[in-house]
Amino acid sequence: MSSERHELLVVTVNHETVPIEERERYSLDETQVEALYKTLHDNSIIEESLILNTCNRFELYFKTNEAQNGKTIVFETLSSFYGIPLEELEAHAKTRGGQDAIKHLIEVSAGLRSQITGEAEIFGQVKNAYSKCQQFGGAGALINRMVQKGFQAAKLIRHSTPIGVGQINISNVAVDLSLKIFGSLDNTSALIIGTGEISEKTAKALRSRGAQDFGIASHSANRAESVAHDWGGKPHTIGALDSYLNNYDILISSTNAEEPLVTKALLDRLHPSRKNRPLFLIDLGLPRNVEPTCQELDNVYLYNLDDLAKIAQDNLSDRQAAIHTSEKIASQKSDAIWQMLGKRGLVSCQQFENR
Amino acid sequence: MNLFGLEDREWIFLATVVFTVTTILGSYSTLKLHRKTGRPYTLGLISFGWILQTIGLYARGLQYGGCPLANRFELVQFLVWSAIVLYIFVGPAFRVSLLGMFTSGFASLLSILSLGFESWDSPGREPIFGLSPWIEMHAALALFSYGVFGILALTSSMYLLQSRSLKQKKMGGLFPYMPSILELTHINLRLLVLGFCILSISLAIGSVYWSQDIESVNTLKLGATIGVWLAYGILLLLRKRESLSYKQYSWACIIIFAIALLSLDAVDSSSTPVAGEASISIPSAHL
Repeated sequence: MSSERHELLVVTVNHETVPIEERERYSLDETQVEALYKTLHDNSIIEESLILNTCNRFELYFKTNEAQNGKTIVFETLSSFYGIPLEELEAHAKTRGGQDAIKHLIEVSAGLRSQITGEAEIFGQVKNAYSKCQQFGGAGALINRMVQKGFQAAKLIRHSTPIGVGQINISNVAVDLSLKIFGSLDNTSALIIGTGEISEKTAKALRSRGAQDFGIASHSANRAESVAHDWGGKPHTIGALDSYLNNYDILISSTNAEEPLVTKALLDRLHPSRKNRPLFLIDLGLPRNVEPTCQELDNVYLYNLDDLAKIAQDNLSDRQAAIHTSEKIASQKSDAIWQMLGKRGLVSCQQFENR
Repeated sequence: MNLFGLEDREWIFLATVVFTVTTILGSYSTLKLHRKTGRPYTLGLISFGWILQTIGLYARGLQYGGCPLANRFELVQFLVWSAIVLYIFVGPAFRVSLLGMFTSGFASLLSILSLGFESWDSPGREPIFGLSPWIEMHAALALFSYGVFGILALTSSMYLLQSRSLKQKKMGGLFPYMPSILELTHINLRLLVLGFCILSISLAIGSVYWSQDIESVNTLKLGATIGVWLAYGILLLLRKRESLSYKQYSWACIIIFAIALLSLDAVDSSSTPVAGEASISIPSAHL
């Protein structure tokens, strides 16, 4: 469907249309968003508008009373606002009109158009954008109806398909597994051996889900103290591991030690005094830091880098497999919303009939 | 007996259909649609089934003038009824995902078995409790404790499934929808304490009557009763002392419950239908 002559249009600049160095030119802070709303308001042909501005996309949904020239005028307005030549802007931006604009909104809200397929954060960002749109007077009957119904459709997609199920990065997979073992992380403690990037990310992810008590172990006491100070936690030396390992529920290890730091013999020795408390071992080291036979012990759950990566990959595959079904739902729902808008007289009869 | 236009067995049959439908819907929703059936829907369906079952058991009880616990069919139905009471009234406090689906599966399996074996529903031995309401209470409490142990066997199975998935790194199937293993172990302990306390109270009541008439309970019944009580008691002690791993503990909960069910059957078959006061031995049979 052509987007040339529509009352309802979306102009989008996102990761699918341009690389990051171009996208960042369209990024707006809150003051600039307000200013853009004002600029759009001042333009008599734009009746309603909604700006979605995230780190990965700039989108402007608008209703114009000039179906013939609306798109051209909006492009000129944006070109002038950003100070980007019109030809360049036209090369960066894509437009979708009428029912396709609604379908696009649903797909974006459900995470189908996100760089990381199915990520949930975008839904909150669209909600936030809608709230700002109401605050700055951009929303009218059409935008209100479209967004509210679009949210319902996006929620339906997220609930009825596996588009957002399962974590797709290693740190979050580790956190999800921790939750499956301990339920809540509020009372769990984590020991981090080695100070690599994945360890740090995993520790941050655990902290964000409630874990409070951290230990940082390193070969050198000075290094342990310095990292513990930066990340927050108790410093330990790896040499004395057996004296404090039982104080922790989760162990994240990512050193480049040649020999395993955690052996079955060590856990066998410590196991009785753990009194059945589960131990989650996350081995991110290469060569592996935890002896694979530790997994044989009851209440010990061992995952290495490959295990976590496989789970993340499986989850991603499940999400990608759900794209087709999700797009079908988005199509059906956008059709229903479009018909409803037509019946309410919010889009012109001609467009309604010509769709 | 006919009540509201249907025979007691027909009410129970309808309840079984509802439990089965709940299990099928729950499984389909979780495994095929990848989403949990909402707790209110599961609770609503199971409660509806439970109401139908209660009407059936009430109709049956009207024949005896007391709890219907006179044959294997009734014993199993009362046990299922107790497990569902626990799920409906105490279950929400546990907040265990999929417990409803597991409970309805448990209820439908036992109900189908009890309806399928016609011989289990042998003629009642009425009046089964004589004149003492205490004996009736003793029998009902004992069966209720079996219901609690039934739920315990279910949550233990859930623990084993979840632990196995974590160990084998298989994240599909029911795994994403089940509670954490630590939550399950806490719930298992609470259920064991609850079941053991109820069974102990029941046996305390029964022992008063037994001490007055030692011949009223035969040795097999007495041995089975004490055996089950002791097994759960020892298990509780070991669990409190953390002498068993959670895996061993969960297997023990399932195995003891299976033995308890079998002993219930063995004890029931050893009962001799008698009339009058002496017939109190029948409900005591499984205690």
